[in-house]
Amino acid sequence: MEIKGMSYTANLRRQTRSRLKRYKTIYLLMIPVVAYFLVFSYFPMALGVFNSLHEIKLLGSITWVGLDQYRAVLSSPVYGQATVNTLIVGMGTFLLQLAWGLLLALCITELRRRVSRSFFQTATYIPYLLSWAVVGSIWIAILSPSGMINGFLRMIFGDGFRRIVFMSERSYARAIMIFTGAWKTAGYTAALFLAAIISINPSLYEAAAIDGATRVEQIRRITLPSIIPTVKVVTLLAVMGMLRNFDQIYIMSNASILDKVRNLLYLIYMDGIVQFKVGLASAAACLVLAMTLLLTLIVRKLIGYDRLG
Amino acid sequence: MKRTLLSRVYELRFYQKNIVWFLMTIMGVLMVLPMWNVIVVSTSSTLASTQSGVVLWWQAFSLEGYQYVFQITKLARPFMNSLLVTTVGTVLQVLLSSIAGYVLIHRDLPYCRLMMTFILITMMIPGDLTLISIYRLNKSLGLLNSYTGLILNGLISGFSILLMRNYFSSISYSLAESSRVDGANELFIFARIYLPISLPGLATVFFMEYVAKWNSITLPAALLTKESMYTLPLMLKMMILSTNSVSGVAQVPNNAIMAAIVISAAPLLLIYVFAQRFLLSGLNLGATKE
Repeated sequence: MEIKGMSYTANLRRQTRSRLKRYKTIYLLMIPVVAYFLVFSYFPMALGVFNSLHEIKLLGSITWVGLDQYRAVLSSPVYGQATVNTLIVGMGTFLLQLAWGLLLALCITELRRRVSRSFFQTATYIPYLLSWAVVGSIWIAILSPSGMINGFLRMIFGDGFRRIVFMSERSYARAIMIFTGAWKTAGYTAALFLAAIISINPSLYEAAAIDGATRVEQIRRITLPSIIPTVKVVTLLAVMGMLRNFDQIYIMSNASILDKVRNLLYLIYMDGIVQFKVGLASAAACLVLAMTLLLTLIVRKLIGYDRLG
Repeated sequence: MKRTLLSRVYELRFYQKNIVWFLMTIMGVLMVLPMWNVIVVSTSSTLASTQSGVVLWWQAFSLEGYQYVFQITKLARPFMNSLLVTTVGTVLQVLLSSIAGYVLIHRDLPYCRLMMTFILITMMIPGDLTLISIYRLNKSLGLLNSYTGLILNGLISGFSILLMRNYFSSISYSLAESSRVDGANELFIFARIYLPISLPGLATVFFMEYVAKWNSITLPAALLTKESMYTLPLMLKMMILSTNSVSGVAQVPNNAIMAAIVISAAPLLLIYVFAQRFLLSGLNLGATKE
């Protein structure tokens, strides 16, 4: 669309202007979305950074305190403990969920009947759909003194068995969080693995079988190497979500196990909203955000996520 | 299907198959028994539900638990709250993200890339980490303890916009071009051409977001203090708390708690049954590499 006598740049500018005019309605359509993000996403972020650098009193006075709040967070034993709890529960959940999901996926592929396959897939997937309020309540009920676990233990050890109050036993607390976390996500992880397994080229198995490889060898040499990209995806998702676990602890924690399971986000919520330590909580939130980004970056590099395969 | 036929020739040995079945049984029991237990106890009589131990079958079938949660716990209110907030929020979200997705498929649109970056950055800021500021913002806007607050926060997500954009860009762009030449305006092209052929994409976003909003705990936990505004997850939490507490508060019977659990989970199970296809495609999309 070269117009005679006009320089290239002028032409381009003209073209842009005419497009701007043509797409006027389109820009109008975008206004609510942009406005939403500015108010509910960018502004809170900026406000969080601002609050982390200021001391805000209940009466409304605001004073600049620099990095004091950050120092307070970093030297606070409670936040240190919360970081340890978050990492232990997060790592544990991730490892168990990965192993559980992988085992589920491998076993489901070996099932020959469609009915049993879809039954197991559905049954294991459902917990992933449910909220932590539901999953947490289910497990609190099952682990209660009158619940199913104690019932089983009684069946095994006889009537002399003294019931265990699992939910207030400090030594079980983290294990329970790890187990329930994995219980909720194992089916989802398995679904991801199953999708990867289905897309493996069948002729690979055929060729291996002709060469005399047994089914177990086929799984080891073909299936497992083919789903490594999915392992990477699952790892990355877990790392990104690890520091952001709130719902589980909010629902399942109680006073007697709190210092074993209280994690960063729960502590931030308690400090910032319930106890009104806005500056401290904002500083902690900024640190967690930075930690998430850093951790994601490190793990991406470590597992070679950006390379192919 | 080809795969199934082929691998039928090359199966596991007999004892290995037994191992698979053994593992499947253990995992199946671990996953299914807890949920089954909930269903049985929720439909047992209050007396039977106080009995401890392994309850996997009805001793006395009764709907007392459901009666209790509706009459004494007044679960209808939180249920309606959840239903209202989730439904309105999800419908608006689908509408807005499909509009934004439609805008972003115009490749010759000036500043298109800028808008894209603007949206991508929001995906890096997780809402739960700005929770304190979101609480303060809502407080100053007077949105605490209000339906508007619950609906407005988290109304649009970068993810759903990208999902819609990807869906729209799989539709031939010349379709929009040719109708534009014919003089159709943008709104018409969007509403009459793009939306109707994108129904599966819309459904995916709808069901995914419906599940996410229905299950949301962080936001209501931050914004709500009034009990009449509670959504189902908060109500459930309160019910379990009152059971665990040693105070003189009347304990909620087991079957009532289980009934509340079933009621909270039922809509999601319905969605899973009827819209499994969309839900799975959406959830798996979230995990694909880039």
